[in-house]
Amino acid sequence: MSPATPLTRRTFTFSASAAIAGASRSLLHAQTPPGNRSLINGVQFGLQPFCYHDLPMIPENRPALFDRLVQNGMGMVELHATWVEPRFTTPGVSARQAREKLRDWRLHAPDDHYLKIRQEAAALGISIFTYYINFNDTMPDEEVDAIFRGAKLLGARGCVGSYGLAQAQRLIPFPARHGMVLGLHNHDNLSDPDAFSSEASIVKGLSFSNDFKATLDTRHFTAANGDCLGFLERHHERVSSVHLGDRRKNNGRSTPFGEGDAPIIEILRMIRDNKWPIMALLEFEHGTLRPAVPEVRLMFDYCKRAVV
Amino acid sequence: MNTRRFLIPVLAVTIALAVLHGQSQSPPRQDYDLAYIGPPLADPVMQHSKETYVLFGCAYCHGMNLVARGEATDLMHSALVGRDENANLIGPLLRAGIPQTAKLSPMPQFSDLSNAQIVDITRYIHYARQLGRYKELFEAKALGSGNAATGKAYADQHCRSCHQGVTDLSQAAKKYSRPSLTAKMLHPDFLDRPASWKLDQLHDTTTAEARQRHAHLLENYTESDVANLLAWLESLK
Ligand code: HEC
Ligand code: HEC
Repeated sequence: MSPATPLTRRTFTFSASAAIAGASRSLLHAQTPPGNRSLINGVQFGLQPFCYHDLPMIPENRPALFDRLVQNGMGMVELHATWVEPRFTTPGVSARQAREKLRDWRLHAPDDHYLKIRQEAAALGISIFTYYINFNDTMPDEEVDAIFRGAKLLGARGCVGSYGLAQAQRLIPFPARHGMVLGLHNHDNLSDPDAFSSEASIVKGLSFSNDFKATLDTRHFTAANGDCLGFLERHHERVSSVHLGDRRKNNGRSTPFGEGDAPIIEILRMIRDNKWPIMALLEFEHGTLRPAVPEVRLMFDYCKRAVV
Repeated sequence: MNTRRFLIPVLAVTIALAVLHGQSQSPPRQDYDLAYIGPPLADPVMQHSKETYVLFGCAYCHGMNLVARGEATDLMHSALVGRDENANLIGPLLRAGIPQTAKLSPMPQFSDLSNAQIVDITRYIHYARQLGRYKELFEAKALGSGNAATGKAYADQHCRSCHQGVTDLSQAAKKYSRPSLTAKMLHPDFLDRPASWKLDQLHDTTTAEARQRHAHLLENYTESDVANLLAWLESLK
């Protein structure tokens, strides 16, 4: 059994004074541009579309994704490449052929393809914070450059994905060439010496380049028995975003916000009170019987109450 | 499963629920993802099991119908799931998780679940696996090219303990055309009879064992096992 969650966190509600303060601030927000729809009391929220677990991440579903983001009051997204790039895995095309076609597409994709998507998003008041792609050794250097170029056209500040120390080392020269950053994103695999999982492994990755920033995944860091608050205290200058969600310690399961061991409220208050430019990107994969939009709304409400 | 048999009760319940629903409140429920979870199953125990599977996040990685996403294991074809009986293998695995792995994101541990929750989740996994395997095997291309002698050897090992007096399988071969014989062998009718809670049937271990055995066979047949068994059955006519 994992230890019971402290009562204070479960029963967390916002105080009357905070509610009043929040109300006057919400007047201010009425005047903020739509891109900051989810800037709440100085904390910029956004969403990792994994949360919409029922929505396949393909270009055809991009309008549905953007529509849901608006419904959920989100003005920022971390967009996976799969929402942007055409798919070549059609019947009769081998995996290898499809991979080659994709590479070829990346190398020759017109600027317009990306710019249009950026406009689509901007017209709805959504900015693309980062471009999510798992870099790997099947990508020659020119393909990596092409991916950064696309991300830049989308308006993203950087690329981020799941890879380990060896891949990160290889990526050292790329972000600077494009005036961007590379996000290092942790999982909770403590058995793999190449993986980003512990504080030490992330710090080691960050030491490779000043253009590297941590995307601290609070769920996985907690599951790997990491100390999220300590990490932020020590390394906030190297953190560009948190993947905000809840899990139980000791490689435990994902839970709805407030039912696991991740100190979500404390993290948000730390970001707010220190005015750190760290984006709070909601990302969760706990099970729910509710449709995805109401589920995101519930989790987002939990976070909003933490910062009003 | 026999799709028609299976669908009718499901449809009936769906319609009944829709009618009830219509009477109590008109707007569709905002708090239940019917499109993702699917219409309610006829058996409320199985419906509860399915919801437990969804609620604890298994569906997110392993797929609602066991078509896995990302790097999660394919539970439809996993040998471990095939060998499992009543959570004897899946249970301990869930309690421990799989922390030592080359995967990016290890399989989490679920030590905080109750035994009943683990049994529910496992029950749904077997049910979904049986549905999926039935479909795969029924639609397999090579079912016509079996070997009767190999089929007989398989039957001696796996069927004879029950099918000497209980049901004469040669009768079944005579009674049914090829597609129905395949269907009845993979999923005999008695599996669809709802379990009874009458006291005199509560402890009917013979039927319970037969159910369990047939379900287990379905989860583990290969295409050639089925082809060989069919060739053998048809040679008995
Ligand atoms: C975060 C994703 C994730 C979740 C949630 C998850 N699993 Fe898994 N599961 C995996 C991965 C990945 C593996 C393969 C691990 C490995 O090989 O290292 C796996 C392996 C398994 C296996 C072993 C199969 C075999 O043949 O070895 C079983 C059984 C299983 N999962 C059942 C479940 C059940 C039941 C749940 C819900 C209670 C669940 N999983 C939740 C990702 C997940
Ligand atoms: C643990 C006992 C048990 C084992 C082992 C078993 N069965 Fe059965 N089987 C049954 C029972 C009980 C029935 C239902 C009989 C009835 O409804 O009259 C049945 C029904 C069937 C039917 C449907 C018969 C009909 O007339 O509809 C077929 C076909 C069948 N089994 C094939 C097999 C094959 C092939 C094997 C081995 C691979 C096998 N069974 C193993 C107990 C078993």
